[in-house]
Amino acid sequence: MTELLERDGRRVRVADVIPDDGPPPGSPWPDDAEIGRRFAAGDEQALAWAYERFAGQVHGMAVRAFGPGPDAEDVTQQVFVSAWTGRAGFRPHQAPLPAWLVGICRHKIADTWARRDRQRRATEAALAEAQAATGPAAPTVDSTVADRVLLLGELEQIGQPQRGIIELAFFEDLTHAQIADRTGLPLGTVKSHIRRTLERLRMRLEVDGAALHA
Amino acid sequence: MPHCTPEQLALAALREPLPDTDAAHLAGCDRCRAEVASLQRGVDALAVPELAAPQGSVAPPPAVWAAIAGATGVSVVPRPELVAGGTAPARPAPLPAPAPPPPGPRSPSGGSVVRPNFSRLLLATAAALVVGIGVGAAAVALGTADGDEGLQVAAAALAPLDDRGATGEATVVERDDGSRVLELQLDAADVPDGYYEVWLLDEAVSRLVPVGVVQGGDEASLALPTGIDIGEYPVVDVSVEPLDGDPSHSGDSVARGVLES
Ligand SMILES: [Zn+2]
Repeated sequence: MTELLERDGRRVRVADVIPDDGPPPGSPWPDDAEIGRRFAAGDEQALAWAYERFAGQVHGMAVRAFGPGPDAEDVTQQVFVSAWTGRAGFRPHQAPLPAWLVGICRHKIADTWARRDRQRRATEAALAEAQAATGPAAPTVDSTVADRVLLLGELEQIGQPQRGIIELAFFEDLTHAQIADRTGLPLGTVKSHIRRTLERLRMRLEVDGAALHA
Repeated sequence: MPHCTPEQLALAALREPLPDTDAAHLAGCDRCRAEVASLQRGVDALAVPELAAPQGSVAPPPAVWAAIAGATGVSVVPRPELVAGGTAPARPAPLPAPAPPPPGPRSPSGGSVVRPNFSRLLLATAAALVVGIGVGAAAVALGTADGDEGLQVAAAALAPLDDRGATGEATVVERDDGSRVLELQLDAADVPDGYYEVWLLDEAVSRLVPVGVVQGGDEASLALPTGIDIGEYPVVDVSVEPLDGDPSHSGDSVARGVLES
């Protein structure tokens, strides 16, 4: 396949449109890697390109979680604002720009759930107080909502390839055999990474989850 | 029978089916089941459909960019017609009812549990993501046979790249003798001292093949080089070329679209 294409490349005249330092003005269609490189470098144009290319997917996730409306729009807005202001934390070799944006979107969705849960508790507490001393005990934290925020943060700390492997299992619902296929890693390696990552998440929940839920 | 291996228990926590002997042991062993349950709390927190890979594109309303620009102070503006989702083919985005925070564990641990059934959808999405999201141009509907004119094998809608507003439609037609032509309808203003040239680019926009010269407001039929793989050069690009005798791309593109077959 590649050879054939290379032959094609020789038969027809092929030249570089793009100088090495990036596309000239007026040719605004760089690839994802170029957008990512310029994004990391703080080039404002790259934020607009990233929005053109990825805002639909990000907003699609937000709408899936919250339905169309202000909550979803807040999430999408926050994703791009956080990505831009936090671009120093963007590591292109860890995850390309669209994957990084999707990861931020997960955080924002989990944060929104947690905020709603705090509002629920505040409302319930106010209600209990209004109903006098015989009211129920203090409203409980939804532990799953809190776990999500904690564990998404822990995922960020995990290096590759472990992180990519567990993300394929969690977010793309692949089996360990499919992950081995997709990544080209041996089955045994995939299995042992999965085991260690689940242990790591369990440890994080035991250490910090208990404190949060107390 | 000995206990299941730690790796098998981790897979069980992900709700992968285990080999029969392991599954049988797990069903009857409290210690192994407790281990699965303890590993499963993290799975249940994160492996929920709301956090899964994106499945569909929904164009955010314009107010979202306005808020981003306000918060970041940037002065650039994305081209609305290119914001992914805005130009997507008529594939209605799945709009679920607003979801409450998903509940905790989906099922008791241990035992044989089927994997959640959103998997196929996600796999399809994953493939789409690998191919690349938000190409910024929508393919027009494809016909099949086109009489003795030949067979339409791919098409692209060309979207403007700037405020010159050039648009168009390109189709690749294969004739009976195997030759292929790019049929192009270009809606663009006349260029006073230059001309429009059509190119096929690869997706990285790093290699290109010249296809021919066209006029704005014109229909043209341009022969494609024999053997060119339009999968490798799927981007139709229209540039403004000055009459300077330089055969290379001017870098001044006015419209682009991606061929889809
Ligand atoms: Zn056992």
